[in-house]
Amino acid sequence: MIYFLRKLLSVSAALSLLIFLPGFLLAQTVQVKGTVKDAEGKAISGASIMVKGANKGVSSAEDGSFSLTVPAGPATLEVSSVGFAKKSVQLSGQSTIVDIVLQESKSQLSDVVVVGYGTQRKSNLTGAISSISNKDFKDQPVSNLASSIQGKVSGINVTSPSGTPGAGLLVSIRGAQNPLYVVDGIPMLSESNSALSTSFNTTGEEVGKGQNLSSISDINPDDIESIEVLKDASSAAIYGARAANGVVLITTKKGKSGKTQIGFNSYYGMQQVAKKINFMNSDQFVSMVEEARANDLAKYNADNSVFGPDFDPSVLTDPLHYKAGPGAVNTVWLDEVMRTAPIGNYELNLRGGNDKTHFYLSGGYFDQQGIVIENYFKRMNARLNLDHAVTDKFLIGTNISVSKTNNHRSFNDNTYTGIITNAIGASPLMPVYDENGNYAKFEDYQANWLSDNPVKSAKEIKGYTTSYRFLGSVFAEYKITPDLKFKTTLNTDYSAVEDELFLSALTTDAEAVGGKAFNGNFRNTTWLNENTLNYQKSFGDHNLGLLAGFSQQESKNERTSMSGQGFPLGSGLTNISSAALITGATQTGSGWRLHSFLGRANYDYNGKYLASVTFRADGSSRFSKGNQYGYFPSASVGWNIDREAFMANSKVLTALKLRASYGYTGDQEIGDFQNISFWQPGRYDGQSGLRPRNIADPNLTWQKNKSFNIGADYEILGGVIGGSMEYYVANRTDLLSNIPIAGTTGFATLTTNGGEVEDKGFEFSLNSKNIWNNKFRWTTNFNISYQKNTIKKLPVDGELVSAYNDIAPTHIMKVGESVGTFWGVKYLGVNEQTGDAMFDDVNKDGVIDFNDAQIIGKARPDYYGGLTNNFKYGNFDFLIACQFSIGNEVYNLIRPVYENLGYSNDGGLDQVFANNSTHSLDRWRKPGDKTDVPRFAFVEKNYFENSSMFVENASFFRFRTVNLGYTFNKQKLHNIANLRLYAQVQNLFVFTNYSGFDPEVSSTGGSNDRTAGVDYAAYPQPRVFTFGLTASF
Amino acid sequence: MKFSIKSIIFFLALTSMFACQKLEVVSPNDVASEDVFKDANGLRSALIGLYSTLQQRDYYGGYYPLIADLNSDVAKAGGYDNPALNEIADHAVTSSNIYVEQIYVALYKSITNANAIIDAADKIEDVNLTEEERKRIKGEAMAIRGMIHFDLLRMFGYHWNNASEFGIPVVTTVQGPYDIVARSTVAETYASIIKDLTDAVGLLSNAEINAKYMNLLAAKSILARVYLYEKNTAQAASLAQEVIDDGSFSLLDADNFTKIYSGRLSSESIFELSFDSQNPSFYNGTTYVREDALRSEILFIASEGLHNFFEARPGDRRSELVDFVNNDPSILPDGRTQKYRGEVAKDNPAYIIRIAELYLIAAEAKGLAGGGLSLLNTLRVNRGMNELKPADVENETAFQQFVADERLAELNFEGHRFFDLARTEKIHDVIGVDQEKGVFPIPQRELIASKEQVKQNPGF
Repeated sequence: MIYFLRKLLSVSAALSLLIFLPGFLLAQTVQVKGTVKDAEGKAISGASIMVKGANKGVSSAEDGSFSLTVPAGPATLEVSSVGFAKKSVQLSGQSTIVDIVLQESKSQLSDVVVVGYGTQRKSNLTGAISSISNKDFKDQPVSNLASSIQGKVSGINVTSPSGTPGAGLLVSIRGAQNPLYVVDGIPMLSESNSALSTSFNTTGEEVGKGQNLSSISDINPDDIESIEVLKDASSAAIYGARAANGVVLITTKKGKSGKTQIGFNSYYGMQQVAKKINFMNSDQFVSMVEEARANDLAKYNADNSVFGPDFDPSVLTDPLHYKAGPGAVNTVWLDEVMRTAPIGNYELNLRGGNDKTHFYLSGGYFDQQGIVIENYFKRMNARLNLDHAVTDKFLIGTNISVSKTNNHRSFNDNTYTGIITNAIGASPLMPVYDENGNYAKFEDYQANWLSDNPVKSAKEIKGYTTSYRFLGSVFAEYKITPDLKFKTTLNTDYSAVEDELFLSALTTDAEAVGGKAFNGNFRNTTWLNENTLNYQKSFGDHNLGLLAGFSQQESKNERTSMSGQGFPLGSGLTNISSAALITGATQTGSGWRLHSFLGRANYDYNGKYLASVTFRADGSSRFSKGNQYGYFPSASVGWNIDREAFMANSKVLTALKLRASYGYTGDQEIGDFQNISFWQPGRYDGQSGLRPRNIADPNLTWQKNKSFNIGADYEILGGVIGGSMEYYVANRTDLLSNIPIAGTTGFATLTTNGGEVEDKGFEFSLNSKNIWNNKFRWTTNFNISYQKNTIKKLPVDGELVSAYNDIAPTHIMKVGESVGTFWGVKYLGVNEQTGDAMFDDVNKDGVIDFNDAQIIGKARPDYYGGLTNNFKYGNFDFLIACQFSIGNEVYNLIRPVYENLGYSNDGGLDQVFANNSTHSLDRWRKPGDKTDVPRFAFVEKNYFENSSMFVENASFFRFRTVNLGYTFNKQKLHNIANLRLYAQVQNLFVFTNYSGFDPEVSSTGGSNDRTAGVDYAAYPQPRVFTFGLTASF
Repeated sequence: MKFSIKSIIFFLALTSMFACQKLEVVSPNDVASEDVFKDANGLRSALIGLYSTLQQRDYYGGYYPLIADLNSDVAKAGGYDNPALNEIADHAVTSSNIYVEQIYVALYKSITNANAIIDAADKIEDVNLTEEERKRIKGEAMAIRGMIHFDLLRMFGYHWNNASEFGIPVVTTVQGPYDIVARSTVAETYASIIKDLTDAVGLLSNAEINAKYMNLLAAKSILARVYLYEKNTAQAASLAQEVIDDGSFSLLDADNFTKIYSGRLSSESIFELSFDSQNPSFYNGTTYVREDALRSEILFIASEGLHNFFEARPGDRRSELVDFVNNDPSILPDGRTQKYRGEVAKDNPAYIIRIAELYLIAAEAKGLAGGGLSLLNTLRVNRGMNELKPADVENETAFQQFVADERLAELNFEGHRFFDLARTEKIHDVIGVDQEKGVFPIPQRELIASKEQVKQNPGF
């Protein structure tokens, strides 16, 4: 097959040689000169001036001037520029000077959109692509570029599972998570490569993923010109085996000819936690314990058999050893571990060039302190984008980006010495420091939940992740004929991550061993060589575009780590060499290769009828021989109805295009070496041997996404209102999944292809220029996506999965339900007479346990979208961007900790389980009370952790960005071309019924959508106030 | 000139399409399974690997014995109010319990390793493999396979009822990914276990007994344990006596027996799985973690019942191994077992079988009439207790109760109590639930994954 493909490509390359057409020397020519300006008389640079029918043209210079040679006699110039209406100018034959005025266009149809391996005009697109440009996301104080598209485009649901600076985001394109990111043509690693988990149990084992970092944060959002999201198969299939979850194309800023522009952007501001959970104070806490005991005592006095034969009622009557009241300690723990933290960003760029050479050079520094004490994320980065025309036909260039990020990690989430997780349960009677100034000993106070003093955890567990990233590409492009271009690129993505973790001897984790340290190193190098031939030619009204290419990619990584314990007291040394005992050393490597052949043909008839077919063949080392190659075809058609005669005169509906596409994309992201049964090293008694690691399915193959899309793009009144609608059905089949297999094989799961998930949806977007004149402009962008995710087929139906591997199942995979369906016991409310919590006893055995579990909710939203309003009045501009999500629920698994209703967890008199939030004050008190909070109870739990008691509606409407800016008049500024000052609030307010910190949450980091929507005290999101300026010189 | 540049570009374009490197990538971390058993070295490596699988957290790395104890009257659940642990401590284990699910697979993983060795042992042709070594390797693997099947039987099967259909899936062949094995009957399961252990006894030599590894005496000891469970008292008694009489292993006296736990490989350990700081076990981390740890920091707490039990046994030095006093007075008297101290290295071994158990097996199997009392007394004396006079023991029932109490005193927190209660059908009397709760449920996951070919135990 490979042989055949190579043959095919070489034949097509050879054929293209025949397309060399001899140029004709024209007998008579006229030199035409002129300028291109806008309605206000400002020069338009870079406008295209073409001679109609002659396939010949030039671009206007910075001052709008141009000059070109046209044949003598009548001729027509076609002048176009992005953002302006196209204009035809008749040359009368003799006139040699023309001044052209272009009218600003409200229409976006002539905008150029980046597509895989090329660009296309929006009017010619046949696939579903959402595009967002720099002006729509600049100024936002975010570290991760994916934040930029939150709520801005339809079909993409970006959520922030954690407020941790530098944290990864959950990007879901039409229901499929973890898209492929392509930066200036380079597919980029986007997973978290840090070895520091932030989720441990008491024995130091990793129990979940915890907060993940995102290597996408290595890219500076300021450097980005535009982001395109390829949503359907026809646009994404050109990326074949990695496109099943959609593709995000990131294009960075390029140089422009003309005087070098120096730009300076900066903002500085403050962050605060957006929402706090209110906890009981000392008085309320002690009264809760007393009320819980009184309730139990009443129950005991009424019927002492319910407490069992061995019950000692003294725990209900003995006086407590602690009391609240005047002089009692009253610590508000969340205030102790959170702070108002600064955030700052400074960026300088130079952009310029001449006819032959263009450059963009930038450097930036971003510093975000965390709202949890000690935590921060800093990034330094530089970028150089350079291109140079060696001759008219030969273009070379390079895009280079280097960055370094420093992250002081914060331990929260499902980790037992987590800062927030502990602060949430700590007793208000416990001080932070004792009278000697030492950390208060958490064992001596009244909350059993606590595993360390939260402030101590924050200060004495020091985790750092430092990452270095180099993304570089060089390319050469040669115009073999005016219509045929050859391009070759060599790209590299180098990434190094250093992890350091030190737990001082003061921490509970390391107290017994005198300090613990872990050091990890990760290094990944990816090489990619791509070669493409691009052919563009018009034959009268028939326009043809062909693309053929071959690429090969290799990625290799190595991971090493060391750990040790026992450090010289008082020395401050934390390096492994000073450890008393080396407790671990690992070195592992991994890698994959991908060989790909790709092709695309675009055809249109006079811009009216459009058709496109793409094909990609990918061979991946991750699959066994015979299954290595996957073939990903797609086809799409479009019809620009407005170009038909019957619509030509329509004044209202000025543009309408219908599109349809169908195609296959694939997914190879199953990890390396899953296709072979391996034995791994296993040690015993000082010797190393081999033991089974996995059992493999030798027939493992690609996951396919078969997707169908129909869409319409419309513009009303020449672009006053515009937008698109999409309907799609995407079936992901042969799902790469770990299916449960009989334990008698020695393994719990097998990585194989099985199951089918369907995503169906409808997307609608609307851009409206409500008011549009030179003084006042008001635009509204609105988008909404409806999405339904259904499991169609599973190799094993009804598999229970757990968000953390040390707790009971939290989710179920079931045919007919969506991925991320919650599993637990159903809560039926409070018994008005007794105040007891009531649950659905499914099997009617009189006992509430996991056998009574049922489906109790789902993590996925039904609708999501955004609403953005932009105002511009004179020199002022104002923006409000909102984001919403409807129908999603959160399994708030940390709530049982802080809504335990005075439960003592067998801890007896002195150790109730944990403090409670003030929500518990709404508890049942006397017969007849109507409330959904059960009575306080001391001995027996009056709640059930894995129950719908803790499943909450997490629909929300968020004011994500509010920005007010002022642009100074140029005349008043010395040497400054442009100056704008602004004030901004990020995450101003969230309307939601969700009781946790933030409804956008996933304590598991969200990388596994099967266990989505769990809140285990994830790092809260901040509200950010910033002041900024952008200036250019 | 112009043409030649074009030619060069085209040459590059075309050649790049052929210049591709091969697609395969070889893992530097692992060995493909078909490459493991190429020669004698592969066999040796796989045997080391087999011991390393016994070290899994969910097997003798800690959780198998400790979870079993948690379901008895020995232990209580610590942790952060973890429902999955609590339900075990409440003797109300459900089939979706995550610990039980992981234990089930962990044990079969070891069996997978053993089966591959046994399968390859007869096939490998290698001049460097002596017949003696071939027999040793195969013998160790077979004895371990028998032991694991027995550990599965006593956790998931009706081991006390030889007529029951609820044995366990017996796996003695190399499995493919989609193979499913249904449950054997209890009698069939016992037969397979006894055959494995008996064959192993035939293959293992008496020459070198190293308690870190499965050895001849360990195989015999475990076989004696199996016979006791199967109620074949004659075989149990004779095998146990044989191991005692061998003399390789002996009891430590009352002043020294705590060295079983504080030291390593004491003279009492017949098979003791070693750990080291790079391969730590989970015993310390789940029972003692640090001096003033709260109950929430550890998973397995010694029950007050165990404390009371020792209070009623004056002189029993084993009470020193249960700690009820060290904690902060404001905290409830939560017990800790002292058997797994070693907060620094966390290299606590797994005491798979000790000579003390052989005295208990022999005493129980022989009974009062058969001379069991002297064996029981030998152990009592070595633990600081007085000898029982024949007058103290009214009848066989009373004697068996003394043995049962002695087993509790000696073997608590080593994963015996729950199985003993089920074996002697005392589940209801001691922990107050029905005898059908004397087993753990087959994990829900297995019922689903085996497409219901593996049947659930009654009552779950």
